[in-house]
Amino acid sequence: MTANEIISFAAASGRNLLFEDEAGALLKAAGIPVNRCRVAPDEEGAVRAAVETGFPVVLKVRSPAIVHKTEAGGVCLGLMDEAAVRRAYREIMKKARLVDQEAQVTVQPMAAPGVEVLIGMTTDPQFGQVIAFGLGGTFVEVLGDVAFRLVPLQGKDARDMIDSIRGNVILKGYRGSAPVDKTALVDIILKVSRLVENNPRIREIDLNPVFAYPKGALVVDARIII
Amino acid sequence: MAGAGPAGLHHVFYPRRVAVIGVTDTPDRVGYNILESILYGGFTGEVYPIHPRHEQVLGCKVYKSLEDIPEPVDLAVICLNQHATVEAVESCGRAGVKGVICNAGGYRETGEEGYDLERRLISVAEKYRLPIIGPNTLGMINNDYNFYSTFYPMKVPKGKVSIISQSGGIGLTVIHMAIDEGLGINKFIGVGNCSNLDFADYLDYLENDDSTAVIGVFIEGTSDAGRFVRTAGKVARKKPVVVYKAGRLAAADYYTQTHTGSAAGSFHLYRDILHQHGIFIVNSASELVAACKALALQPLPGGNRVGILTHTAGPSVVMIDYLVPAGCVIPALREETIRRVKQIIGSDNPPVILKNPLDAAGLGFNRSTYGGLAEAIMADDNVDILIAVYCLHKNWELPVSGLMAAHEKHKKPLIVNYIGNWMGCRQDQEFMQKAGVPLYTAPEKTAVAAAALVHYGMMLKGGGNLDCK
Repeated sequence: MTANEIISFAAASGRNLLFEDEAGALLKAAGIPVNRCRVAPDEEGAVRAAVETGFPVVLKVRSPAIVHKTEAGGVCLGLMDEAAVRRAYREIMKKARLVDQEAQVTVQPMAAPGVEVLIGMTTDPQFGQVIAFGLGGTFVEVLGDVAFRLVPLQGKDARDMIDSIRGNVILKGYRGSAPVDKTALVDIILKVSRLVENNPRIREIDLNPVFAYPKGALVVDARIII
Repeated sequence: MAGAGPAGLHHVFYPRRVAVIGVTDTPDRVGYNILESILYGGFTGEVYPIHPRHEQVLGCKVYKSLEDIPEPVDLAVICLNQHATVEAVESCGRAGVKGVICNAGGYRETGEEGYDLERRLISVAEKYRLPIIGPNTLGMINNDYNFYSTFYPMKVPKGKVSIISQSGGIGLTVIHMAIDEGLGINKFIGVGNCSNLDFADYLDYLENDDSTAVIGVFIEGTSDAGRFVRTAGKVARKKPVVVYKAGRLAAADYYTQTHTGSAAGSFHLYRDILHQHGIFIVNSASELVAACKALALQPLPGGNRVGILTHTAGPSVVMIDYLVPAGCVIPALREETIRRVKQIIGSDNPPVILKNPLDAAGLGFNRSTYGGLAEAIMADDNVDILIAVYCLHKNWELPVSGLMAAHEKHKKPLIVNYIGNWMGCRQDQEFMQKAGVPLYTAPEKTAVAAAALVHYGMMLKGGGNLDCK
């Protein structure tokens, strides 16, 4: 499906928050490296998806009624085998079924750890579509260490915003750790810019975290609001 | 909101015939002062004061209405209350007036009722395709045309810098600081509520206004910030644009809403996105004036390497704190320059450290020594621009001729920080600035001035916000 079709489908279903698998497909269609994601309708499906994906895996609840998955007990990380997947599936469903009989799960591989960064897009009332970049977690929330640029971005803008945050020292490598692949981050930023420029129906994107590696980068969690 | 287009603004800024609607005969009223302002400013076009009952104000014949004026009017300055203003705009439209300035407040900045009234004002203006400056504005000055239509009668030195301000108070602050700095103003535009002309429209107009070389902007917030920064970025490729953005705290939103009806928006977003579009950002009205002055007077440097000559170290430390984060470099002086410095000082082992900034200490008091040192640094290929610091003194004089000679010989930008008070420095300031060298009395302003020149110098070279990929 094209980005446009994915957005239209979600809109027709009355959802403004895309499912994780939809967000993944949309990003993939835009050429952005994103963690694989399969939908499982039941426990057997979850096990099958986990085996095919390869352990360890992550299970997340998939329901239009549950917006904050972690808070709803809908996320289980680092599941090492079939038994763990079954246990996690039942635990997630016990809570999810209270609010949504149709709830499903998604199955994703555990991504290799990298430096966590955030790449986002927000629609500002004065500026319109704005891209944000920062280190994940407290760096952005508590310290406000985040850079903004107006869509559309040029390569220079993407590089400049990475360089301009204080946390850049961590991206450049410190205490013996290798520097992260800045080109890969620039590539994601520019592709997000192009994606939202071409799809003005997208109101908000939160790729958080994106794992940055010495070579390459991977979107691990994606939230897209239309 | 819909722009009236830059071509449509010529009659507003250069009107041949101006009506002042709502003129009064007492100096405590806006209507009186706008007429006085126009007369005092030396406007050479025709002025038609309008009031239904007065016969004469300030020696001018007063007309009963627009219809009584024998000639077609280009611009009407409306000094009525907010309700009567809407009616007056309607009559201006009918009479074929080409633009209006609406001073009255009481529109969207006051809440829902005012918002509705402003919608009416806008729809009347749109019906006749009338550009509006304001409402809720101090007014406009076109010093290139001796046309002063604010309600603060004044005369300001002429120059190449035009100011766009969302606030009348900060607008006046900038104008008076400019007078103190010896900076000439070309146009002043109080944008007010930006009813049907926004910042971007004024920037578009000034881009093609040949008498404007530099544009200074004071902004609190605008509903179309994207268009504002894109336009500013476009204009800045042709002439420097300096922006002072206020309203940094979320709490400020309430005050800006009730001031000009615009939310301040996120300062962080403004800062990052102005930077993205290559705009030089300042943090105060005095920085705005300082930056505009340097950009109006000096050529742009060929690079970002700043040489500093002083005889007291502190100011150079203060300047470096500002210059380096702004993208300037304080380069080492070349061997050849150090040799020349030793020759000028007349000692192979002088009691000063020979480096950049060059603090000549006691040896720098002497005029010819100081001038020689300035010339030596200017001659250095490592240096793109020179800042010269000298302290006002009863017996020693600023080495004006030496500095000017070095400046003329090497064609590199020169900025002078004369540490003293305005009265003491006034003569030297006037002399140097007439010759194109900006003189400041504070090291902070001097640093901002140098950084502004470097910023636009680098942009001109393509290093600014251009994509070099």
